[in-house]
Amino acid sequence: MTDWERIERSDEFRELVKRRRSFVVPATIFFLVYYMAFIIVAGYAPDFMGESVYQGLTVGYCYALTQFVMVFVLGLWYLRKSDKEFDPLADKVVEAAAEFEAGDVRFVRKDDTEVKA
Amino acid sequence: MLLFAEVNVEALVMAAIILAITLGITFWASKKASSAVGFYAAGRQITGRQNGLAISGDYLSAASFLGIAGLIFLYGFDGFLYSIGFLVAFLTVMFLLAERMRNAGKYTIADVLSFRLNETPARAAAALGTFAVVTFYLIAQMVGAGVLIEKLVGINFSLAVLLTGAFMLCYVIFGGMVATTWVQIVKAVLLMAGILTMSIFVLGKVGFNPVELFNRANENKGPESTFSLAPGTYLPKPLDTVSLGLALVLGTAGLPHILMRFFTVPNAKAARSSVVWAMFIIGFFYLLTTFIGFGARAFLGEGGVEGAGTGGNLAAPNLAAFLGGGEGTFGGDLFLAFIAGVAFATILAVVAGLVLSASAAFSHDIWSSIVRKGKDSEHEEVLVARIAAFGIGVIAIIIAIIGGSGLNVSFMVGLAFAVAASANFPALVLALSWRRFNTTGAITGVVTGVVSSIFLVIVSPKVWPGADTVTGSPIGWTLNNPGIISIPLGFLGCFLGTILSKERTEERSFNELFVRSETGLGSERALEKVG
Repeated sequence: MTDWERIERSDEFRELVKRRRSFVVPATIFFLVYYMAFIIVAGYAPDFMGESVYQGLTVGYCYALTQFVMVFVLGLWYLRKSDKEFDPLADKVVEAAAEFEAGDVRFVRKDDTEVKA
Repeated sequence: MLLFAEVNVEALVMAAIILAITLGITFWASKKASSAVGFYAAGRQITGRQNGLAISGDYLSAASFLGIAGLIFLYGFDGFLYSIGFLVAFLTVMFLLAERMRNAGKYTIADVLSFRLNETPARAAAALGTFAVVTFYLIAQMVGAGVLIEKLVGINFSLAVLLTGAFMLCYVIFGGMVATTWVQIVKAVLLMAGILTMSIFVLGKVGFNPVELFNRANENKGPESTFSLAPGTYLPKPLDTVSLGLALVLGTAGLPHILMRFFTVPNAKAARSSVVWAMFIIGFFYLLTTFIGFGARAFLGEGGVEGAGTGGNLAAPNLAAFLGGGEGTFGGDLFLAFIAGVAFATILAVVAGLVLSASAAFSHDIWSSIVRKGKDSEHEEVLVARIAAFGIGVIAIIIAIIGGSGLNVSFMVGLAFAVAASANFPALVLALSWRRFNTTGAITGVVTGVVSSIFLVIVSPKVWPGADTVTGSPIGWTLNNPGIISIPLGFLGCFLGTILSKERTEERSFNELFVRSETGLGSERALEKVG
């Protein structure tokens, strides 16, 4: 039986969750706000969106293009962060769990006392 | 009854080629789809890139291709608003669900929802959400298929629906997820090839200068035209626009046929890369649809409005005929046939994904877990899934034929997104991240989301169109899109149900779900490669 509670309390797991959240939460807030701002401006200020930047190219079309850029940049950024930072941390959690199950004491509580199997 | 009005021979040949390829795939796949993990999840052997293509194939329906190009042709910028919502939605999927679904689930979204809740009611709630979304989406696609094939290939509406349904059932019943995946991949490649070719032709006519295309499009509107480079023509009510935007950006993360695709890859890393692949393919696609829509306006002009039909759905095929040298010429007919074939493949791939997700919800959640309490064999479960697919497909065919071409396709698709965003999305997100969330909360949340979104659509002015600006809604409701009310209601239902119930028991601990969804520890393994 895997001791899920013990893994959840391990430093490795806390570190993984903390690091991932510190990226995902601000990124999610940012993209939702940026997207909803676009929708709200389109709804409430259609004339502004229809203004010309250069001939038939409008403010609205340019604003829309920045949404594409945002999606691609956030997508690639998260992919990179995951490969370099989150995946290695997740691997550590899995390794530590495997070692613990094999009888090797590796989990250390927050107060630094070792947990005996 | 006239079955074959004016058959477009080239289009028929093109459709036959596509059908031959997809049936070949189904025959090859049928041997791999006999086990449960093969039938529901393609043995979890799909790579990230393949799944990215398949997600694109599953997601880009005829409403995306012909519908958005048509809306841009008729209304200009407002059509593009839909594309942005459909695309940004994949950030929601990536950040909140994709990897965690893969780590925590097995075959259906109910696996994730019921992970630590009381299994029978939680699975029933998830199945209700799945059936509600799939019903509206599937009927919309079938009616759309009938209308388009009737126009493009020249066969009768009912026959077109029947043929679409028959092929859809063939892929799902005999080839399961393996065949469905490869049909979606083939379709995504065909669709991208088709839209890229058209875009190059369109841009070639304006010296590869998109701004010149916008200029010409803007010059080509008549005095009474609805077309505008500014928003507010198709969506004149600001609050409605915001409500729609919200449903689009959150709804994708509640579509069962899209979420199910994450169970087909070997691990969370592949799930993550598949979303990014899908983002690039879908983003590139939506960028190109603006060239098709504005191109149709620039070259077909106001005179093309009548020929573009309801919602402008035929603007893209008509533009193809024009680009090939005009209707009646060999080049024009050939290009039209190619685009008609692509549209046909597009519809087939989407409906197959939808039927598969609904049949999995029936066999895996209702039959195996609730009725038989897990005592059935794997063989029985897959057999039930095949029978369920047949039943669901037949019902959809009958409703589509009875409802006929008069059913409003965009209305049904909007309803599907609203239900997905209001019922499935809140329950899934809270199940994965809120420690206290319980069975009562899941049930009240899903039921509130389904009921409120359907109710608000039924009383919306779209269903009760009044004279001019006066709403005909019986309760004086003025919004067409329910999202802004029904999504918060869905979350509120989850929240109130949870805190008001005394339920404390858990089948499995939140610790297990949390660790598993974040790390993949203990998650479902891929089948070893066979053959």
